Amino acid sequence: MIWTVWQVNVRRLLHNPMELLLTFIVPIAFFSIFAVIFGGGVGIGTTPKIKVIALDQWDSEISRALVNDLTENQGLRFMRSPSETNLTTEEAKQLVRRGNVGMAMILKQYGDNVAVELLTDSSDQVAAQLVTAIVTESIVQAKVEQQQQSIRFAATSIPPGAAGPIPGNGAIANPVQVVDVIGEGKSNPVVSMYAAGIAVMFLLFGATGGGGALLEERENQTLERLLSTRLTMDQLLLGKWFYMTAIGTLQMLVMFAWAQLVFGVDLVGHFDGFLIMTLVTALAASAFGLFLATACRTRGQLSGISVVLVLTMSALGGSMVPRYVMSENLQQYGLCTFNAWALDGFDKVFWRELPVEALAPQLAVLLISGIVMLLAARILAIRWELD
Amino acid sequence: MAAAHHEPPVLELRDVEKSFGSLRAINSVSLALRGGEAVALLGPNGAGKTTLIRCICGLTRLDRGSMQILGHPIETEGIRSALGLVPQEIALYGDLTTKENLYAFARFNGLSRRASRERVRWALKWTGLEKRARDLVGFFSGGMKRRVNLACGVMHSPQILLLDEPTVGVDPQSRQRIFRMLEELRDAGTTILLTTHQLDEAEQQSDRIVIVDQGRIIADGSKNQLVEQSVGASRLVKIRVDRPLKGPLKMQNHLSGEPLGEAGKDVVTTRIDDVSHHLTDLLHSVRQNGYDVSDVEVHAPSLQHVFLHLTGNELRDG
Repeated sequence: MIWTVWQVNVRRLLHNPMELLLTFIVPIAFFSIFAVIFGGGVGIGTTPKIKVIALDQWDSEISRALVNDLTENQGLRFMRSPSETNLTTEEAKQLVRRGNVGMAMILKQYGDNVAVELLTDSSDQVAAQLVTAIVTESIVQAKVEQQQQSIRFAATSIPPGAAGPIPGNGAIANPVQVVDVIGEGKSNPVVSMYAAGIAVMFLLFGATGGGGALLEERENQTLERLLSTRLTMDQLLLGKWFYMTAIGTLQMLVMFAWAQLVFGVDLVGHFDGFLIMTLVTALAASAFGLFLATACRTRGQLSGISVVLVLTMSALGGSMVPRYVMSENLQQYGLCTFNAWALDGFDKVFWRELPVEALAPQLAVLLISGIVMLLAARILAIRWELD
Repeated sequence: MAAAHHEPPVLELRDVEKSFGSLRAINSVSLALRGGEAVALLGPNGAGKTTLIRCICGLTRLDRGSMQILGHPIETEGIRSALGLVPQEIALYGDLTTKENLYAFARFNGLSRRASRERVRWALKWTGLEKRARDLVGFFSGGMKRRVNLACGVMHSPQILLLDEPTVGVDPQSRQRIFRMLEELRDAGTTILLTTHQLDEAEQQSDRIVIVDQGRIIADGSKNQLVEQSVGASRLVKIRVDRPLKGPLKMQNHLSGEPLGEAGKDVVTTRIDDVSHHLTDLLHSVRQNGYDVSDVEVHAPSLQHVFLHLTGNELRDG
């Protein structure tokens, strides 16, 4: 029975060239446009707080003063107090790779001066430039203050004309060195992010469209006819859920295959993580589509609600604009959406290259919310069984 | 096929009631169909016919009463597979071909893949749509869609077929085609319950007519039985005379106790119980009054008269 529902829906799709086009080609077109526009790293204009940690490996007055200065900076948010940070460089790299922090600052001695190594995640194209500027400014400021103190000291204790060289004046040309701990040798991270973002957005649109087919069946009495056969509502919903999940998975696969062919995203190298994220995201999105359909009375109502919801979720969840450029509040609100969890998962797969186990939070949230939505859809559909 | 009255009913409804808010859609309806019988539920739109069909299919929950299919309570697991439903709407997948629609509904009705394929072949032949098997149903004419709609309801060879206005909106030619298809099913022994608001459909396609109005069954029987029970066997006679009447005509006592016709009119209208004897007497009386008969019309009572008599409304008044 479920298999027959699945087959009917596949055949209906195959008989609709426009629907096929909307399912597989339009998302690719959208993604390509976004990838071309943002792939060069332009178009980002906000400056949220960047999550950082500092490792003071020199542990001198100068380095401590620099860290203190940086902690007061409005653009940075220290995830651990500098005094509590007792990490190795490798541990700091891991924190960056896992996305726990956006950047790690390692303060080292360079002669009499401090040098800062920034361990960055180059998927956030704003953070590296911003922190480099902030740290450089702080170092220069500290040096100027140091020089002023030296001059004052010299003016009071040394006779005029007897001043020697200013201590700590062994200036380094570039006190800040940026080290990309994730993106070395990889294609532009924004490309894989947009592949996932656009794919998830269209997955949601596809799912609400699939839910619309249920309302269409109800409106033209096909649903009643189906329910007068041996087919049960459970079987019908499950059949549709599996069908929509299969089509969604295929849609994502086509999208990422295109991304690999044209934009160099490494799909083959991350296929296990991609597949499990895609499957679970498609399951959740399909359940969302069925929930919306069963909650609505007409296709017109569904169409209006779904456009607003999907676009809002996509905007908040990072399908349109990366969440790291949003304010912290917005980033938190974004976690109420499928998109945010799905994109975080795809980010872990393609950018951070974390093992499948690291996807557990994202998979759990998507799966649980998908099952909850499906159960809600089932409960709402009771009214259609017995008017 | 006439129903054998000694057999137990294949479908039986007892004191069935259903209300929607304050509207009582079905009011104490009891009905029994015997194997092979064709019964028409005749009534205006909103009479409760479709609700009754939906109740039988389990799509609408009864407020009161009971139903049995093949002697089993309707709640019995799997018993509803004895029913086939042909809804009033074209409840098909317009973006599937004829063959795909038929196959899908065969499968939904529990047929195996092999049995489904065989039944699809039969259905294509039965509907006369063999050459359109691979065409999308959405592009069919209304009549062709109706045929596929009907076929999808009988893919599992149900013993009882429920048809809700099966010919609504189709041209006369397609209608006759659908009637022939239904006759084939009746010949094969399928019990048919069809709802209609078309008198000729009720007359042609049923052994028994059940007149429904405002949720109640107000008459049940063959056409002749209904006529006799309501308007009786009398015939309406219209006699046109050669010139306007000077005044009412005096008739023989057994024809009419009162004079007939009005001054200035050239038509006399009356009812007679026995055409073979009374028509001759009627014409003789007219001539005796000094008028020649130029035309005579004799009307047998129709279902329309029956319905009007029973409800006080024309059938299409709704």
